[in-house]
Amino acid sequence: MRTRFLIVDDNELVRQSLRTVLQANPEWEIAGEASNGQEAVAVFQTSRPNLVILDFQMPGMNGIETARRILEIAPAMPIVLFTQHASPELEKHALSAGIRSVVSKTDTFPMVGIIEALLGPSEPPATDGKKDKSY
Amino acid sequence: MNEQEKVNILMVDDQPAKLLSYEVILKELNENLIKAHSGREALDLLLKNEIAVVLMDVSMPELDGFELADMIRQHPRFQKTAIIFISAVHLTDVDQLKAYQRGAVDYISVPIVPELLRAKVSVFADLHRKTRQMEVLNRELRSLSARLIAMQDEERRHIARDLHDSVGQLVATLSMNNGLALMQAEKLTPPAGEALRQNTELVKQLSKEIRTISHLLHPPLLDEIGLLPAIKLFADGFAERSGIQVTVELSPELGRLAPKVEISIFRIVQECLTNVYRHSGSKTAAIKIWPSDEKMLTLQVCDQGKGIGVERRVSMSLGTNNGVGLSGMRERVRELGGTLEIQSNGNGTTVTAVIPETTAATVGVS
Repeated sequence: MRTRFLIVDDNELVRQSLRTVLQANPEWEIAGEASNGQEAVAVFQTSRPNLVILDFQMPGMNGIETARRILEIAPAMPIVLFTQHASPELEKHALSAGIRSVVSKTDTFPMVGIIEALLGPSEPPATDGKKDKSY
Repeated sequence: MNEQEKVNILMVDDQPAKLLSYEVILKELNENLIKAHSGREALDLLLKNEIAVVLMDVSMPELDGFELADMIRQHPRFQKTAIIFISAVHLTDVDQLKAYQRGAVDYISVPIVPELLRAKVSVFADLHRKTRQMEVLNRELRSLSARLIAMQDEERRHIARDLHDSVGQLVATLSMNNGLALMQAEKLTPPAGEALRQNTELVKQLSKEIRTISHLLHPPLLDEIGLLPAIKLFADGFAERSGIQVTVELSPELGRLAPKVEISIFRIVQECLTNVYRHSGSKTAAIKIWPSDEKMLTLQVCDQGKGIGVERRVSMSLGTNNGVGLSGMRERVRELGGTLEIQSNGNGTTVTAVIPETTAATVGVS
């Protein structure tokens, strides 16, 4: 089963590079894109992704707030915060909001590994809130 | 009030003839002369006008000069009004002492020497005018400095944001592209692969530099998550850059504060740690924030350095390139309605700011 990504970043260049990086894996596809938190929540509901990659600092709602909204809809959704501001403090807040991982924008290479680990080796990822959060 | 503006001089005497003679003597000062025939009338006029000098007779029926002076002084608005007593009787040292204890600035005995009375009243009228001018200038200066601080905060926030949105994103994209190329590095010749790996490291360093500059200008966590994580992150970064060990003790029950309070506290912490690094020679610093009684919160930054010597007070109070010094901290705290205290000796310095706990909810920030 192919993995569907929602990518959220206010910068088109960043989204474009993310697309290229993710699409390098033939099993991965882009289900949707959004340039801010509000739009992300809307696109999330229509695009049914398996994994969300969220920028932290965006106009309006920040990445952590956006993650909270998405997790209200789908509590088991794996979300990766992809940011220039990665730090232990931000990570603490992000994890307590239910975000699975915080990745620095300069660590694209390790990010691919983190995504693979999040998706798990065999189990298909959950797509709605009814499944166990600890999946 | 400008230099030419007239001030009000109140003359109080129950005898009209005396009032008339004061008027003749003081006329050439070219100020506004106001007459009162009794203590009660004087009080009434005082409440309705701004009076620079009160010239009053000690012996009057009903309310005498001393009683009137007591009543005037009880009113906060008139605590500094110049009162000159005039008396034909009560000339002993005890009487004069009584007058000065009631806040008189002078005690003139009859017969009056016109030139002398004129000169004395003139001095206090000028003093009043200058005091008023000074108060106006002071208020203007304070409001200007508050605006400058707010504008500086706003400007820094803008630059940090621009840095993040433009250069920061370009560097992030560069880094992602490098990452993508690295995934296929085996297809490159060894030197090309090595160059790519080097570039990747350089871009990482570049990103870190930009991040540090942007965070020092305005920490993104401050707006997005709040003061406490922003301070912790700043303290960690400071410790790493300076080699000074920083402990942070922040009361967890503090919620989101008003944006102006959060940025002010953050800037004070930043300024204090800069001072610890530049001046104290201390190997450690401690930051504490806790809610004290009655909706106040206390911020304390301590070090175990050599203290602030007299010669350093001047440069510290003017600040450095990165900050606006102790006077800037004081202005920030004053603007919030709080107090700032600095204790310093050979064993270290402690800066304590007590600030009203204005929460984000109080000022309607969601």
